[in-house]
Amino acid sequence: MIGNPPHMTQILSGVSATPLSGLGTARWYRTGDRPDPTAVEAVDPETEQHRFEEAQAAAREELEAERDRTRERVGSEEAAVFDAHLQFLSDPQLVEPIKQTIQAGEAAELAVDDAFGDAIEQFEGMEGMMAERADDLRDIRDRLLRLLAGSERTDLTALPEGTVLLAERLTPSDTAQLDPEVVAGFVTMTGGRTSHVSIFARSLGIPAIVGVGESLSDIREDTEVAIDADQEAIIANPDAAVRERVTAGRDVTVRQERVETVDRKEIEVAANIGTTAELEGAIRQGADGIGLFRTEFLFLDRNSAPDEAEQFETYLEVLDAFPEGRVVVRTLDIGGDKPIPYLALPEEVNPFLGNRGIRRSLGDDSQLFETQLRALLRAAGHAEGTLSVMFPLVSTIEELEAALERVDEVAADLDDEGVEYAIPELGVMIETPAAVLLAEAFAERVDFFSIGTNDLAQYVMAADRENEAVATLHDPTQPAVLRAIKRTVEAAHEHNAWIGMCGEAAGDPELTELLVGLGLDELSMSAVTVPAVKANVREIDSTDAAALSDRALGATTKSAVHDSIHQ
Amino acid sequence: MIERTVTVVPEDGLHARPASQVVEAANGYESTVTVGPVDGDAVDASSMLGVTSLGVGPGDDVTLTADGPDEDEALNELESILSTPETE
Repeated sequence: MIGNPPHMTQILSGVSATPLSGLGTARWYRTGDRPDPTAVEAVDPETEQHRFEEAQAAAREELEAERDRTRERVGSEEAAVFDAHLQFLSDPQLVEPIKQTIQAGEAAELAVDDAFGDAIEQFEGMEGMMAERADDLRDIRDRLLRLLAGSERTDLTALPEGTVLLAERLTPSDTAQLDPEVVAGFVTMTGGRTSHVSIFARSLGIPAIVGVGESLSDIREDTEVAIDADQEAIIANPDAAVRERVTAGRDVTVRQERVETVDRKEIEVAANIGTTAELEGAIRQGADGIGLFRTEFLFLDRNSAPDEAEQFETYLEVLDAFPEGRVVVRTLDIGGDKPIPYLALPEEVNPFLGNRGIRRSLGDDSQLFETQLRALLRAAGHAEGTLSVMFPLVSTIEELEAALERVDEVAADLDDEGVEYAIPELGVMIETPAAVLLAEAFAERVDFFSIGTNDLAQYVMAADRENEAVATLHDPTQPAVLRAIKRTVEAAHEHNAWIGMCGEAAGDPELTELLVGLGLDELSMSAVTVPAVKANVREIDSTDAAALSDRALGATTKSAVHDSIHQ
Repeated sequence: MIERTVTVVPEDGLHARPASQVVEAANGYESTVTVGPVDGDAVDASSMLGVTSLGVGPGDDVTLTADGPDEDEALNELESILSTPETE
């Protein structure tokens, strides 16, 4: 094979597991040699059995250490996988056949390979959780074979600073050993956004690209590589522009304190999350709180809805992460675009204009909605911080009033049951032109608004947010979208409601001054952009910002809006 | 020997944590414990490989058997694991 010239820039695309970018030196993960099990000669059955038992004991020790480390650094749910590995390791259905093969005169290596091979075959080719068992068994087999060979693997807890770890695949135990302070990132050939490896990367806050495929093997040890989360790519031998892009924001000092403009207007800078695994990143990046907790992730990828107790624990966990801050929870926003087996959602021709969000919560999913509200009200009663609950895709006053009524009903039930609770702040997510046009009437009835710019731009511009061909229309800096935002802000403030923004625009450092000028009280974004936006807020004078936003609002074309921003 | 049929409640079925709990519990008793589909072959409940290979999902019925000096306690614990939703 003819390799690429050593210093040529090379871009390999994959899937970003985290929104973090990084720059470092490529190091391949050596998993330890796995000698051909058929090539090892057996000494005698007694010795081979002893060798197997030694390897089994060493594997148990490793697994217990990895489990404890994972429990401490990632969470007990993620650590449970090691308990399963420990049980497989001493499973009589594996240990007995191994013993028999050894008694028949074979080496421990061959006995292990055979017994696991049969078990793996049983699970292979099956779907979902059964296929994952095959991966578990492969992990355990390889661990035993490595220990039998006495071969060294790369010590993941002792990597040199600035390492970008490259691997065919990383197991949960591998990933849990990585220290985010030392490792600049990792890249794997296999995996997807919802794989364990990606979940671990997010909760540890490590830049990671997964699912790159076999072309990753083109990258040589010690090559300088950039992990570009925006481009979802790994770039070998990056040029200066790429290096600058992936390290931008890294020099911004993270400060946990709240920020205000030069003239002392406080702006709340919060993070958007979908799972509790993302809390650590939000805290590390110095977010004041959570401005959008998308609760639908609690409901996806499972066979039945989470019950009240599970939801209560989850909401409380998020609230406890910000005892002095605010957590904005969006109630279930589900429609025909997100398949949820136990809800049997009908396929819709146009799910973004269909039965979704508050429409389903007040209709088909009213039971789920009630359970969610009960869990939320109870969490509000237990939390030190402030809980704010908002309803998605509201377009009529009737919908809002029905939702508020449901909150009152749930509160009355909890009263009757003598259960501790509190009424959270209640708000509307502003996504539809209808909500913008009725903003005054909505503002009279709620404590706050949060503008979802992705959906608002989609509905105001009639431009699908997923369709590249209309991407220039789907843009928060379109004059029509800016005017919709301004109108909503004024309505909120007139009725003493606070107003935030939780779309992608909120995290664009180029737009911070404009958004402050428009009068937003809170900005919520991917945790990774929090430090840059906080730094920007400190430099802003709100009088200048208001002047800038007036110029932008006066513009009638997108290019004129951009001219006014860069003036 | 005693036998009982229960409906599996945990959303993961007999995988992940519930499977681990079943295996751990079965290993804690002297009795021989099995689990299996109502009309199929049962497996040794103390074997993770056996338990996960059943492919039991939530809502499925399974038959538990136990044979030994502590068979009642064994079945009670297993039944309680299988009929309790996961707490996390």
